[in-house]
Amino acid sequence: MSILANKDTKVVIQGGAAGLNAARRMAEFCYMIKRPLNVDAFVYPPDSGKTNEVPYGAGLVTVPVYKSVAEATAHHPQINTSLVYIGADRACAAGMEALNDPRIQMVSMITEGVPERDAKLLARHATKLGKIFNGPSSIGVISAGECRLGVIGGAFDNLVACKLYREGSFGVITKSGGLSNEIIWICSQFANGITTAIGIGGDAYPGTDYVSYLERFEQDPQTKAVVIVGEMGGDLEERAAEWYGAKARRIKLLAVVSGFCQESLPKGMKFGHAGAKEGLKGEGSARSKSDALKKAGALVPETFGALGPAIKSVYEELLKSGQVRPIPELSAADLPKLPKTVEEGMKTGEVMVAPLVRTTISDDRGDEPLYDGYPASELINKGYEIPHVIGLLWDKRLITKQEAEIIKRIMMLSADHGPCVSGALATILAACAGIGMSQAVAAGLIMIGPRFGGAVTDAGRYFKYAVEHKMTVDDFLAYMKKEVGPVPGIGHRIKSVRNPDKRVKELVSYVKGVGMPTPHLDFALAVEKVTSAKKDNLILNVDGTMAAVLVDLGFPVDSLNGFFILSRTIGLIGHWVDQRRQESRLIRLFDYLVNYAAPKRREVPPLK
Amino acid sequence: MAKVLEGPGMGLMKKWGIVVPNFVVVTSVEQLEQLAQANDWIQKGKLVVKAHEALGSRFKLGLVKVGLDRAGAKAAVAEMLGRQVGSITVSQVIVSEMVPHKDEYYVAVKSTREGAEVLVANCGGIEVESNWDRVKKLSVEVGDTPSSDALEALAKQAGFSGDLAKKVAEFAEKLFACFDKEDAQYLEVNPVVAREGGGELVALDAVTLLDADSRFRHPDWNFHFAAEFGRAYSKPELEVMAVDSKIKGSVKFIEIPGGDTAMLPAGGGASVYYSDAVVARGGKLANYAEYSGDPPDWAVEVLTDKVCSLPGIKNIIVGGAIANFTDVKKTFGGIIAGFRKAKSEGKLNGVKIWVRRGGPREKEGLDAMRALRDEGFDVHVYDRHTPLTDIVDMAIKGGK
Repeated sequence: MSILANKDTKVVIQGGAAGLNAARRMAEFCYMIKRPLNVDAFVYPPDSGKTNEVPYGAGLVTVPVYKSVAEATAHHPQINTSLVYIGADRACAAGMEALNDPRIQMVSMITEGVPERDAKLLARHATKLGKIFNGPSSIGVISAGECRLGVIGGAFDNLVACKLYREGSFGVITKSGGLSNEIIWICSQFANGITTAIGIGGDAYPGTDYVSYLERFEQDPQTKAVVIVGEMGGDLEERAAEWYGAKARRIKLLAVVSGFCQESLPKGMKFGHAGAKEGLKGEGSARSKSDALKKAGALVPETFGALGPAIKSVYEELLKSGQVRPIPELSAADLPKLPKTVEEGMKTGEVMVAPLVRTTISDDRGDEPLYDGYPASELINKGYEIPHVIGLLWDKRLITKQEAEIIKRIMMLSADHGPCVSGALATILAACAGIGMSQAVAAGLIMIGPRFGGAVTDAGRYFKYAVEHKMTVDDFLAYMKKEVGPVPGIGHRIKSVRNPDKRVKELVSYVKGVGMPTPHLDFALAVEKVTSAKKDNLILNVDGTMAAVLVDLGFPVDSLNGFFILSRTIGLIGHWVDQRRQESRLIRLFDYLVNYAAPKRREVPPLK
Repeated sequence: MAKVLEGPGMGLMKKWGIVVPNFVVVTSVEQLEQLAQANDWIQKGKLVVKAHEALGSRFKLGLVKVGLDRAGAKAAVAEMLGRQVGSITVSQVIVSEMVPHKDEYYVAVKSTREGAEVLVANCGGIEVESNWDRVKKLSVEVGDTPSSDALEALAKQAGFSGDLAKKVAEFAEKLFACFDKEDAQYLEVNPVVAREGGGELVALDAVTLLDADSRFRHPDWNFHFAAEFGRAYSKPELEVMAVDSKIKGSVKFIEIPGGDTAMLPAGGGASVYYSDAVVARGGKLANYAEYSGDPPDWAVEVLTDKVCSLPGIKNIIVGGAIANFTDVKKTFGGIIAGFRKAKSEGKLNGVKIWVRRGGPREKEGLDAMRALRDEGFDVHVYDRHTPLTDIVDMAIKGGK
C-alpha cells in the first residue's frame, strides 16, 4: 500500500527536454519493479505529433507527444496524473489545463520560481475540484515497489541501494528534493524502508501541505510512521504539529526542522529555498516549529544526524510490538540490475567492441586536440605553424623549419589564379546563384581533376616511379607514351619556353638554393628539357613542379593533390566572399558565347 | 521576497489610485535645485527628507528630517548623501511634501497561504506596534476581491465611522488592487493620514515587498530590488548572483564576516542543515552557500573560488545529501578546479576540507576528491554511509 502514487498511476508529462529526462528516470524505476512504463503521453505543443523515445531496460519505448492534455487523455483514457515540467511563466496555465481535465486527479509541478499567486491559485482550484496539486518546486513522489513520479530517488543504483523495489513502513514528506533522497536512504539503512516519499517543494506556499498528506498516511495501514523534514519559514510545520497533537494518531511522527543557524546569522538572509525565511516578526523560526512538533508528541531529534538512530528506535519498537515483521533481504544475485550501456560495459571490462573506425593521426577526447600526439596549444606556443600541422596530419611527422618554408611558398603560389579558371568560375557562378559558402566552394573544388589542378598526385607518382627505377628521360618518355599518355605535370595552355611561368621559376630557384637533395625535381627538369625542345609549350608546369618538390620532401604521393586543393580553397573562399560583398546578381552565359550546333526546330512526330 | 524602496513603492501605489505626497528621489543637491524649478511644492511647502536606502532605524541614525523649508531640505540632502552606515553608502535621498494632518491610521495587505489578509487600524505610526489588538483583519481568498461592503465593515470594526469609514474602505480597496495586480507579498502604509482641510487620505510611508519570481509579467518594474538584509552585497556575492542568474540550477553565496568555517554544500535544504550543525557545534560560519539543480561545473568553480577566498577560514564543508540528479562527478570537477586554482594562488594553507556526498556518479566524484590528497590537499572524504552532518562534528572537533 502507498499513497498518491501506486500501480494504477498513469502519467502524462507536460514539458520538453526536462520532462523527457524525468520519463527516463521513471522508466528505470518501472524496469526495476518489472512493470511497464507508466508514462503514456507527453504534452508539448512544439513537438506535437512527434514521439519521444524512452529507454526501458535494453530497449526503447515510443511515447507520443500531444498538443494538449485533453488530446492526451482522449487517446489514453487511463491517464490520471500529470507532471508539469513547463517554465515558470507558463506553468500556471499548464497546471490549470491539467487540473481541468476530468480524468486527471493529481498534478505535481517541478517548476521552480513560480509566482506565489499562481501557486495559490492552483492550490485553490485543485481543492475546489477535490484534486491534488503538489509543488511547485517538487522533486516528485515515489511509492516503493509501485510508482515513481519525477526524478525523486536518483540514479538506478540508488533506487536499489534504498530498497525501493519493495515497500517498507515509513512515509516521508520533505520540502527539499535532495533531502528526500537522504531520508529514503536513512529509512532503508536504519529501518525497513519507505512506503511513499513526497517532495512538497521549498516554496513559501506549497500546493498541498504536510497535513493533507499526513491524513492520507494515517489512512494507509502499511505506513506506520512518517518522517517530516521541515525548515524555517511559513507555518506548515506548526500546522502539522497541530494536526498531530489534536487527537491520538495511529502513525508515529518524526520530524527535523532546519534553520536554527538563523539565530546567529543576519536577519532577512536568503537561503536556498524561496520559502526558507522567517517572517517579519520572527514567526516561523526553526525553534518555534521544533517546539510545536515536540509539544504535539512528535519525535524531534536535536540534529539531522540523530535522525537515523531515532528512525531505528521507532522501527525496533514496531518490530517488538509486532506491527511490523522483518522483511527478508534479497540476495545480491536477485537484486534488480539495469542493463549496462556499451560505454559502461567497456569501462568495467565486460564488453569488447570491434571498432568501426581506426585513426592514426589525431585525438580530441582530452581537453584539446592532439595532432599526431602533440597538443595543439603547445605547437602554437612553441612557434610551429600551419605547414607543420599539415606535416603532422598528412604525413605524421614534425617537419623542419626549412621544409615548412617550402610548403608555405607552394601554398602561396597556388592560392588563386583569377576568376576565369574552372574552379573559381564554378564558385563564382554558384555565389551569384545565391548558394552558401560551403556548397559554392565545393562546386569549385569539384573542378579539380586531371585537367585542372589535379595533376599533382599523378605527376608525383610517375616522377617517383622513374627515379625509383633509375630510368633515363628517354626511357621514361617512351614508357609514358606507351602506358599512360601525356606526362602529367608537363605542358601549359598559355605558358611556354619563351613565356615562362614565373611561379615555377621562383619555386625551382628557391628549392635549388637551400641545398637539399632534389632527385625528383632534377629529373622533372631534365624531362622538361627534352619535351620543350619538341614543342615550345611542353614545359614543367606548376603542378609538376610542386609534385617533384613535394616528393623530394618525402610526402606520400596520395597526399599531393591536397596541397593544391588546400591552397586553392583560400582563393575560392575569396571569390565567394567577393561576390557576396558586391551583392552580385544571378549570371548566365550569353547566347553569343554558345555555338548552337543542335538540330534546327522541327515537328514532333506522333507518338507511336 | 524582494524589498522595494519607498520611492518605487509609492510609485506602484500611485499607479493604483492611492494618493501619495509629492516626492522626488535625488542623488545630488544640484538635482534637487533643478527639480525645485519645476515643482512648486518644493519651493513653497514644508518638506520631509529621508535617506532612500534599505536601512532600518533611519530616525535614530538622523536620516529622516521633517518640517524643513527649501534651504533646510537642501542642507539635509547635502548632509545625508555620502553618509556611510555599515557597508551601505547613502546615494539617494527622497524629498517629499509634508502633509499637514492630525490623526494617523494603518492599512496593510499581507500574503497568507489562502490568499491575503487586509489589515486596518484606526491608529498609526509606532502606536500600532504597541496596540496590535486594535488591528482588524479581513481574509480574502486568492483570486477573489473583497467587496466594498466587506471593507467598510472592516473599517467600522476597526473603529472608523461615517464618511471616514468609507474613505478607509476605499483606500484599502486600492491597496488591495495594488497588492493583487502587482504580485506583492506585503504592502503596508503606516501612517495613512487625512490631509487637513479636505480630509483626503494620503499614504505617508510605504513598505513594499514584491514577489521577484513574477518579474516576467511586470515589464514596467523599472526599479532594482533592495538588499535583503541591512547591508550592501559584496563584490563576490554579486559575482555569484550574476552567475546564478544565467545558469540552469543555482549557486548561492552570502559572506558572514568573522567566521572560520566555510560552507560549500549542495542543496537548498541540506545546506541549511549543515549551517545548523556548525552553529550547534559551536563553530562560526564564514558564509552561507549552496549549489543545486545540476549546475554547470564552471559555475560551481566560481562559487568555490569565492569560498576559498574567505579570510581566516580553517575548514571547508563540502557537504551534501544523496543527489537525485545533480552529477556528483561533474560538480565536484568544478570544486576541484576551484581548489587547485586557490592553492596555486597561495590560498588554503592549513585549511582542512571535509567532503560527504552521494548521488549520480558518486564513486567517481568521491574518488577524484580523495586523489587531491596526493596533490597536498588536507582533504577528508566520506560517502553516503557517514550521516549527513558528521563531517561538521569532525571538522569542529579537529579544530579544538
